[in-house]
Amino acid sequence: MTATATPPRQAQPGGRHPRPRRSRRPESGGRLTPGWLPWLLQAPALVVLGGLLLYPLYRVGVLAFEDFGLRELVTGQSSWVGLANFREVLTDPLLWKVALPNTVVFAAVNVTLTVTLGTLVALLLVRLGRWARGVLTSAIMVAWAMPAVTGTYVWVFLFDARDGAVMRALGALGLIDPAATNWFTERLPFYGIATLNVVHHGFPFVAVTVLAGLMTLPKDTLEAAALDGAGAWKRFWHVTVPLLKPVFAVVTILSTIWDFKVFTQIYLMPGGSGTNRDVLNLGTWSYITAISQNRYGLGAAIAVLLTLLLLVITLVYLRTLFKQDEL
Amino acid sequence: MSRPTVRSRVGLGLGFTAVLVFSLFPVFVMLSTAVDARANDGSRSLLPTSLTWDNFRFVLDEGGFATYLRNSLVVALSTVVISGLLALLASVAVSRFRFRFRTSVLVMVLVVQMVPLEALVIPLFIQAKNLGLLNHLFGLVVVYVAFSLPFAIWTLRGFVSAVPRELEEAAYVDGASWPRMFWSVLLPLVAPGLVATSVFSFITAWNEFVFAITFMNDQGSYTVAVGLRQFFTQYGTNWGAVMAGSTLITLPVMIFFVIVQRRLSDGLVAGAVKG
Repeated sequence: MTATATPPRQAQPGGRHPRPRRSRRPESGGRLTPGWLPWLLQAPALVVLGGLLLYPLYRVGVLAFEDFGLRELVTGQSSWVGLANFREVLTDPLLWKVALPNTVVFAAVNVTLTVTLGTLVALLLVRLGRWARGVLTSAIMVAWAMPAVTGTYVWVFLFDARDGAVMRALGALGLIDPAATNWFTERLPFYGIATLNVVHHGFPFVAVTVLAGLMTLPKDTLEAAALDGAGAWKRFWHVTVPLLKPVFAVVTILSTIWDFKVFTQIYLMPGGSGTNRDVLNLGTWSYITAISQNRYGLGAAIAVLLTLLLLVITLVYLRTLFKQDEL
Repeated sequence: MSRPTVRSRVGLGLGFTAVLVFSLFPVFVMLSTAVDARANDGSRSLLPTSLTWDNFRFVLDEGGFATYLRNSLVVALSTVVISGLLALLASVAVSRFRFRFRTSVLVMVLVVQMVPLEALVIPLFIQAKNLGLLNHLFGLVVVYVAFSLPFAIWTLRGFVSAVPRELEEAAYVDGASWPRMFWSVLLPLVAPGLVATSVFSFITAWNEFVFAITFMNDQGSYTVAVGLRQFFTQYGTNWGAVMAGSTLITLPVMIFFVIVQRRLSDGLVAGAVKG
């Protein structure tokens, strides 16, 4: 699910405002609210977050240094092997030739396409009339709402070697021989189809966010630029982009994080669940190594590498966010 | 600005059509295949030639989707209730009180959102196995509560902050205790925010796939996302059934998206474009 860290500010309190009175206790409720109250209130949430997100994160870090297989899963005992798991992962050609390029190149291509398409759609939306804009916004919401599982199955169906509509259409045009073509077995077409899926699911978020930004742009600045003879292209790059820099930063970084850890869309494609090792990415490789092959320690080491990659991106995200927003 | 020329109007029309078709195409394929009597016939066209409800009947009766839908509903609704309650209490704590480590708590809430599920699934699978929680719907609920909490806390925080402090103080002046004030003043005013975050928690739990497929390997405890896989066999795929099942999964999500659409884009404006 797409989750963004953007708090709504315009929640409308329905009640009437009483006459503002001078507050003697600006910080908390006062005598009736003791100091331990905030901790009592957030204790359940902190316990859940700690127990199910932070502790497992620590556990996966420890697992990565252990020899943990099916036997250890049953006996509950495990042995420390130091950096052996990382050595195995880092010297595996599969990492450098398959999993890492599949992850990084895929994310780079998809972020570029998602942000570009989303921005173009936002620029289109802002020029449309009221009615057309409403229709198109609803349409892209439908694309956004499509769950990853069902969306993936639709794209698989369309490109299915036997029944796929796309394949049959291409075959009818004489471009391919449907009987001898399977686009899921090779890496490039496999990830091409995955790209279609991920971009289709991802561009509405960018479009809606950038549109929201475009609506806040001062009209007179753009008009002044137009009067000075700046064309649409120049206006976009010299006025819109600098003014909306924080918006573009947020959508780019969030898309990057999502596209780096894409799992379901790859795993559910034919061959994606481990039978075709050419199409593994870091996420599916880690999962298959651990859960399907019962090599939990090794899988954990791959997961740690992916987490570290994401951590770097998160730090960039936090820096961007903190620059424009106070906590 | 200048009046639109014919050329720019044609351009807008073309762009409109292209985006419309691209956005709706997969949903159209899903729906049209689900009601197509010849869905599994290699020669079918994109438009169904004869309509039928048989695919839906098949997934609900023989496919066991009635059970999976019930499981998913139980999991999603439990997640909504528990995470809504926990998030509301926590968001009041971080937006109404200044205490030590308040910023640390907020930063943690933000950072845990970035953690890849693939990294959590391995230790949580081992933990759930040790605790005997595999194949129990409750095991999934606990995990989904944790996943939906950060976003819910972060969103509700904005709604709680928007309630004027004076209203709270008026309640104290009238002699209300903190719980009374919370119940009669704060809760009714943040209710719209609670609706929005509930929808998101519901969708998180309803759509989740990685944990559902790892924790649930007994057919009686499948959720909808996992249940779809059975129509893919080594002898071929029952596409009519897959698309009918997909339709059953997708429709509730789309309805919810339409409900929150406005609030969603408002929230994005407020969060991303704050000057």
